[in-house]
Amino acid sequence: MNHVSQTARVGLFFLLGLALTWVTFQTLNGGKVFRDKGYRLVAGFESLRELKKGDEVRMAGVVIGSVEETRLAGRRAEAVLHIDRTIEIKRDATASIVMAGLIGTNYIGIDLGSAGAPPLPAGAEIRTQITPDLNTIMTDLAALGNKLDHALVTLTGSLAGDGKGSVGIIQKIDLLVTENRASLARTTTNLQQVTDKLNRGEGTLGKLINDPKLYDEMIGTLGEIRRGAGEAKSFIANAQAIIDQVKMGQGALGALVFDQKAGEDFKSTIANFRAVSDKISRGEGTLGKLLQDDGLLRDAQLIMKKAQRALDGLEDSGPITAVGVVARGLF
Amino acid sequence: MTCSQIAEQRNQLTPATTPKTTAVHVSVEHLSKNFGATAVLKDVTFSVAPGEIFVLMGPSGSGKSVLLKHMVGLELPTAGRVALDGHDAAAATTRERVRMALVFQSGALFNSLSVYDNLALYPREHRLFNEAGIREKVMRTLQILSLENAVDKFPSELSGGMKKRVAIARALVMEPSLMLYDEPTSELDPVMAATISEIIATLREEYHVTTVIVSHDRELALGIADRVGILMGGTLAMLGPAMALRSPQDPRVADFMNPKINLQHPRFKQLET
Amino acid sequence: MKPLTAFLDGFGSTWLLLVRVVSHSGSLPRQFHRFIDQCYLIGYTTMPIVAILSFFIGSVLALQAGYSMQNFGTQQFIGSLVGLSMARELGPVMVAILVAGRVGSAITAELASMKVYQEIDALETMNISPARILVMPRLAATLVMMPVLTIIGDLVGWFGGAIVADLTEIISIEPEAYFAVLRRYTHFSDVLNGLIKAELFGFAVVLVCCNIGLNTRGGPREIGAAVTRAVVVSLILILVLDYFVTQVLMLVSS
Repeated sequence: MNHVSQTARVGLFFLLGLALTWVTFQTLNGGKVFRDKGYRLVAGFESLRELKKGDEVRMAGVVIGSVEETRLAGRRAEAVLHIDRTIEIKRDATASIVMAGLIGTNYIGIDLGSAGAPPLPAGAEIRTQITPDLNTIMTDLAALGNKLDHALVTLTGSLAGDGKGSVGIIQKIDLLVTENRASLARTTTNLQQVTDKLNRGEGTLGKLINDPKLYDEMIGTLGEIRRGAGEAKSFIANAQAIIDQVKMGQGALGALVFDQKAGEDFKSTIANFRAVSDKISRGEGTLGKLLQDDGLLRDAQLIMKKAQRALDGLEDSGPITAVGVVARGLF
Repeated sequence: MTCSQIAEQRNQLTPATTPKTTAVHVSVEHLSKNFGATAVLKDVTFSVAPGEIFVLMGPSGSGKSVLLKHMVGLELPTAGRVALDGHDAAAATTRERVRMALVFQSGALFNSLSVYDNLALYPREHRLFNEAGIREKVMRTLQILSLENAVDKFPSELSGGMKKRVAIARALVMEPSLMLYDEPTSELDPVMAATISEIIATLREEYHVTTVIVSHDRELALGIADRVGILMGGTLAMLGPAMALRSPQDPRVADFMNPKINLQHPRFKQLET
Repeated sequence: MKPLTAFLDGFGSTWLLLVRVVSHSGSLPRQFHRFIDQCYLIGYTTMPIVAILSFFIGSVLALQAGYSMQNFGTQQFIGSLVGLSMARELGPVMVAILVAGRVGSAITAELASMKVYQEIDALETMNISPARILVMPRLAATLVMMPVLTIIGDLVGWFGGAIVADLTEIISIEPEAYFAVLRRYTHFSDVLNGLIKAELFGFAVVLVCCNIGLNTRGGPREIGAAVTRAVVVSLILILVLDYFVTQVLMLVSS
């Protein structure tokens, strides 16, 4: 073989190597070196959880950059995000850490922000929002269940005080109704009737009658709660199924999701929740009594607000709710 | 081809160039060499004058080749030194100051290179000429040694005598000021041995090169040597003009130069007693 | 005592050879033809066997990983396992072992025979450094060709894994899914890591094989012994070096 053809072969072979390296580089890194003219943003979090260098940054699900650095800055953790040069992030966009799988892959999700807002300059700090992770959701649910339970115990206590005790709410109502209209004394358990009468009522019930706005709000809240209860039921059904799955798994994934104790906690939380929702479903008849007690009203309002917020929180985390996370990890 | 023909041919080929090499003075000073516990050379001292042909003789294993390797710095002395024009042969820089060529007993041709490339290697690596100049030089040298037909052959295709001649040609292309031959006539038929001897003598005439030959070829020694040294057991047993070999004083040298085959008292039996 | 001095001898002479090669590196352009010859031998002619071996290494990797991962139902991560293993470890090590066996042994045999037949001595008397015309072109060619061989090995190994993952019943991962996972968990830095390792292995192997060849003493019988020694030393060197280079690269990249 002559020298020329040998040199040509070696040259081509070397070029082949270069080309393959280039292809590999493009495929694996998406040619990041040549798009390195992006800019950086800082995102501060209470905890970065399992976020690590190299994780993706996505806006509305599209990869727009990567986590360049993770560091501790004083009392918080910071992630330096490397954002593609062509991507504009609005000033009111919010970044959050999103779990993409059960085995510890996270990414930073950034929402689109409002269309009219000015873009964030390089090096700026982006607004962040803490999305609950699985553990936080569990803890919150347990606390919510306890509070609802407690409220119901108080409510039931007030009602049970009826009969012979002088402080019984029903007796009070009895007295009140008798004073105004005797025919109403026998219909104390009928809420519809009570409220009908209350439309014209005086005394301690004046508050409700004088403030129809408050009443509407109450009704609305009740509807919310009922809806929430319905949702919670389906959530519980889902969660029950998941727990069964996990329990069957028993092995690596079971350990990954929760330990035995967490499972038990979750179960008791669900039991509480179910009791609460059942009681609320039956709660219509006792509404009048509920409304009569100012302190009780405020308590109930507070609890309802909390419940609403919790349910809102669950709804708002979009596709990555606790159920979503678990379900996606498993199926 | 006779010596005179070679010289004539060479003159025809290079009418303009005169030998530019300046012969080197070789001085072996108290040279000793041990391999492990074995002393191969023991305090050897002699010198070779510029332009002289010096033949080093001696029985096999007497250290002749080792001494030769010291002259080109392939072996490092245990004690003493070899000086080439005053420069220590063992120093790496000496090879750059003194151009020397060693014709190995085996030829030591580069088996992966053709005869042409074997000869062209030195001028190419040292950038003595351009490629055309190298070609001219190589072809001329091959003609001197009647090797024109072998130019594209590989060493494995050559006969023993041709290999020796190619090895000499390769040394000659270097235009050395010191030529060393290790057994140039061994393994050759008598005519080829005589031819090689003639070539060596002619080259000295032409190039005025200092020549050291290791051999136990008596014909060669008596025919072309100016002086002869006989190495026995690591020391010089005799040092003198070639004529002195005809009537050696030392009985060992006498025996070496004119061994009598004596079947009544074989040597190997004498050694036993 | 003797093995120890032999080891130290070899160690020292290898470094000295490296120093001599580096001191001659300026004349590399003049060695271009030798460099191309060596590139041809080290790279071009070694490529088919690298491809064959890497293909089966990738395949068997996928097979074994699939076999053990099906216990956890995590077969879909085979791509990342094969991708990372080939790029970071098996690609460079297998190529280095092939180069030791195929190229290193040939280099030692050639240089040892040149030494035994006094060609090396002849070069030295001609004031032509063997380090310059024999060792340097080989080392330079190795440095140029090792990454090429390794990237070919990596890619062929990945495809071997993909084919096995697709066709094996207990795994049954579509190539698309396999490469999606591979791309997600294998970064170019992993590949680069492997290329650096291959470069170091190849350099060390060829340097050691040259040195053993050049330091052969004795008759033709020693040529065979030198080749055996060169291959054994190369293999040990690759694996020992692998551990330390991996450590250093992990420190540097973290």
